[in-house]
Amino acid sequence: MVDENSTGIWVIGEEKEGKLAPVTLELLTIGRQLADSLRQELVVVIIGHQLEHMSRLLVDYGPDKILLVAGEETRYFIPETYSEVLSALVEQRKPFAILFPATYDGRDVAARLAAKLGVGLAADCTDLKIDEAGRFVQVRPAFGGNLMAVIHQPTARPQLATLRPRMVKPNKSGRKVSPSVEYIKPRISAKPFTKSLLRTVREVAEESGNLDEAEVVIGVGRGIGSSENMRIVNHLATLLKAAIGGSRGVVDAGWLPHTQQIGLTGRVISPKMYLALGISGAVQHLVGVRTAKEIIAINKDPEAPIFKVATFGIVADMFSVIPLLAKELEPPAPQTT
Amino acid sequence: MRIVVCVKQVPDVAEIRIDEVTHTLVRAGVPSILNPFDEFAVEEALRIREKHGGTITAVSMGPLQAKEALFKCLAMGVDRAVLLTDVFFAGADTWATAKTLAMAIQKLGYDLIICGMKAVDGETSQVGPEIAELLGMPHISYVKRVEVEMESKSITAERMTEQGYQLIRATMPCLLTATKALNVPRIPTLLHQMAAKKKNVEIMKAVDIGAQREEVGLPGSRTQVTKVYTPQYRTGGGTILTSENLPNAVATLKELLKKERIV
Repeated sequence: MVDENSTGIWVIGEEKEGKLAPVTLELLTIGRQLADSLRQELVVVIIGHQLEHMSRLLVDYGPDKILLVAGEETRYFIPETYSEVLSALVEQRKPFAILFPATYDGRDVAARLAAKLGVGLAADCTDLKIDEAGRFVQVRPAFGGNLMAVIHQPTARPQLATLRPRMVKPNKSGRKVSPSVEYIKPRISAKPFTKSLLRTVREVAEESGNLDEAEVVIGVGRGIGSSENMRIVNHLATLLKAAIGGSRGVVDAGWLPHTQQIGLTGRVISPKMYLALGISGAVQHLVGVRTAKEIIAINKDPEAPIFKVATFGIVADMFSVIPLLAKELEPPAPQTT
Repeated sequence: MRIVVCVKQVPDVAEIRIDEVTHTLVRAGVPSILNPFDEFAVEEALRIREKHGGTITAVSMGPLQAKEALFKCLAMGVDRAVLLTDVFFAGADTWATAKTLAMAIQKLGYDLIICGMKAVDGETSQVGPEIAELLGMPHISYVKRVEVEMESKSITAERMTEQGYQLIRATMPCLLTATKALNVPRIPTLLHQMAAKKKNVEIMKAVDIGAQREEVGLPGSRTQVTKVYTPQYRTGGGTILTSENLPNAVATLKELLKKERIV
């Protein structure tokens, strides 16, 4: 079943409303390392509608080839059609491995492609590498991050993996070779079913950022007390350019939308800094922030378990800390004469 | 309307501890539960049946003790429970699991399939969409609201995204994966729990779903776990200041933010 001639590391980029998701550049950075170790080419595939401006966003991150699949049929993300497009390309060009972002869309299309091709898929990886024997190795957490599994895919090609956002820093490759760019028209077969996107709704303000992408995430616990009190947190978030997430209690109370819940039944995030305000630190919450580089805890209960994982903490009421911190961070008021 | 709900018995992840000496996972004494996301799936199936009629079959692949998870589904109110259990199924990865479930679902009959958005032990979110692909149907993942339209045989659902949701319409048969935002699952009464224990969990083996040894379980799996280890996370030890001199503590925090180049 293994096609020994399969070659090339492919990265499936994510494009939304004309913008490239940062995780695409992270995938290219790790993809370049894999391709160099194997002396294979690195190919980036973007599927969408109007993609002419994409090449210049990608070129510095080291792809040997840029495939732009652009057409009316792929204007909106529909995993059933995106996986069909990719399946046709894979059958034709036989890559060695394909990397997807572990985002809502990335997981959807990767799973459908894996099932369509009958190949393996390692989900939500935190590290991807090539071992001494030239094998593709995937490392992924399970059991709420309590266990790490090292995975190989010896029996089928291509080998698929989704990588969590923020696992590597996007790195310009410094290569002088300019990649070839190829435009491909999507071909979609008639289906026995229909599926359509009726509307896209944004519930989180653009400036409050994406939990996957933000360097700083502020986590809010039930102690915030009301949705009105979220205003002072919003102000702090603006000063820190932070995204705001919260515990299950805050989401269940309706003070934050469901998209912002962090933890076992919410999202797993890896910011540079997690600022936990009035978060007690139940296991169910902590599994969502284990890969944060720094955890800053502010809680009035000195016994709160969050302090056990904090890199810095203040035992104090968040309502007394937030205004003081905001004042420290505010730009000095203009001098009046 | 034939609804199939795919469920899994999982260890209660919140109860798992790491042995501090051996750095291994302590699973002894950790209770097995119905995967929390599957509860939302079962609950939604019950609500759809209440509104539109039909039957609900809960299906699970696992060892014999996974019957317990299916008893919970019966106690919640599903009509029928099927356990796929066979030595042939052991060691399955997501592909082999999806293949086994898809073959069983084909035998059971379906108009709508609902799964949890992920299992809290494996955490892949892959089995649902893979089943949909294998059965040649559309899927809507990360669902937070569902409307079934019987005349047009279609589903309209809100699919959670990183910053909001998409409204998606798909024809049935269709597969959905449930998030926590979908509903609040009912808690079965003691009476219902006792009644469920008297009900039958049907057993299906590889031969019953027409699965060959090499296409399911470990031989059918495309991924192999070659090693597992417990990761080292920070265990605190950071400076914790009290509120005695709050302005000072806040100034220290600001210095930290500066050092990390956040401000």
